[in-house]
Amino acid sequence: MITTDQVKIAAAEYLGGKWDTPVTVCDVEKIFGGASRETYKLTLEVDGETRGVILRRDPPSSLIDTERHLEYGAYDRIYPTDIPVPEPLFLENSTDFLEQPFSIMAAIENPMSDVALLPEEQKQKIGKQKYNLLGCLAAKDPLALKFDEIMIVPDVASTATEQLAYWQGVINDDEIHPQPIAQAAIRWLAANLPPPAEKISIVHGDYRTGNFLFNDQAQITAILDWEMCHLGDPLEDLAWSLDPLWSGEDLELAGRLIPHGQAIQIWCEASGLSCNEQALKWWRIFVSVKAVAIWISSSENFEKGEGKDSILAMAGWVMTDRQNRILLDYFSPEVMS
Amino acid sequence: MIPHTDGALRMLSQRLMTQLLPDLKSLYSLSDGALIGLLINAIADETAEGIQRRLDDIAEMKLIFIAGEALLSSRDKEVISAELSSYRLADVNDHHDALTRILVSLHQKAEDKEIEALNQSIWAYLRRHSQRHKITAVP
Repeated sequence: MITTDQVKIAAAEYLGGKWDTPVTVCDVEKIFGGASRETYKLTLEVDGETRGVILRRDPPSSLIDTERHLEYGAYDRIYPTDIPVPEPLFLENSTDFLEQPFSIMAAIENPMSDVALLPEEQKQKIGKQKYNLLGCLAAKDPLALKFDEIMIVPDVASTATEQLAYWQGVINDDEIHPQPIAQAAIRWLAANLPPPAEKISIVHGDYRTGNFLFNDQAQITAILDWEMCHLGDPLEDLAWSLDPLWSGEDLELAGRLIPHGQAIQIWCEASGLSCNEQALKWWRIFVSVKAVAIWISSSENFEKGEGKDSILAMAGWVMTDRQNRILLDYFSPEVMS
Repeated sequence: MIPHTDGALRMLSQRLMTQLLPDLKSLYSLSDGALIGLLINAIADETAEGIQRRLDDIAEMKLIFIAGEALLSSRDKEVISAELSSYRLADVNDHHDALTRILVSLHQKAEDKEIEALNQSIWAYLRRHSQRHKITAVP
């Protein structure tokens, strides 16, 4: 645990060295919500100008060493494209400054992320952008953006099996109590594999309302949280974004924004890809299993004391409970018949 | 003994949220504290009902095991017939987990052998189990 004063001093020294000019850190605000890394918003004075940066510090665990590189590498490769992300500035792998590795990015001005209280037309506007951007991401060539330098390039035929094996492994390794619903879902997924991916795309891995910022004109200004980014079937991101967990009260709305059908249509137009109904069904059940894996990992992290953030307990207890009920709905006799 | 433990936890949560949090200056601490308050309420519910919920699960799983007896190993039957060593939460959890592992295995066998009635009774149990353990204290 470090204090915001320690962050202030270390960041001033670090950034001053990097930019070769004195840097004053005027304000440090720790941001609540991120389970994987401590996140701080810093307000700086540099050469007479004020600017904001976001500092993300690893927790005291080596488990996410690879993710840090992948996440920063993803930001680095996406930043020059038409997909809005914060400008990545520095990745520091040493523990010399803040006892743990960290990354620094430019802050987005006047960021908003909560869509709950927006007027209907703004939700529509943001929803359309959200699925247009996701389609644009799916359309990109990962090799042209050199994603193969930082990630494994899977085969179109095997990506679903590989993803399933990975997340099944996470559940088996991290479950504190047996997970009969997730295990039944895994057996169904293994027995009903989808057709090969139409193409291998950049998969954000956590593309949902809450993981992008927008401004007061309802313009999306940044897609965040690329730590689960990988290459695979683009339907995975679409399915994740449609998961009922992100829909709030209205299950017909994708991420509380626009109807599912409209979201899928915009995605298809922007990506130039089709959306096979059976394949999407498979990926929708898969992402719920993946989510259970993430939530029970949070619970394990909380129980073992590797992370003491209350958000880990919330994810581990409440989200596992809700996600299991989502899986049960998928396997209700009416849906499966 | 602590009287009405679940109620005591709820009162402490309420005190945390209404008396202590408003004095905090940092938005991070305020958010963290509010979430902790809600989680304490969830723990209060679990303190009040958790053991009974697990015992209800155990009783229902045992009925399923009777229906699927032909698919169980002798080791499974030993575990199923074992008595609870105590009503301490840890012991009830251990027994519940052991039976749930057998249920997972039985479910797979019911699918493989296409025993639809058993398969559906397990799904029905999972729905009741899920409803019974639903966490309502956190919105």
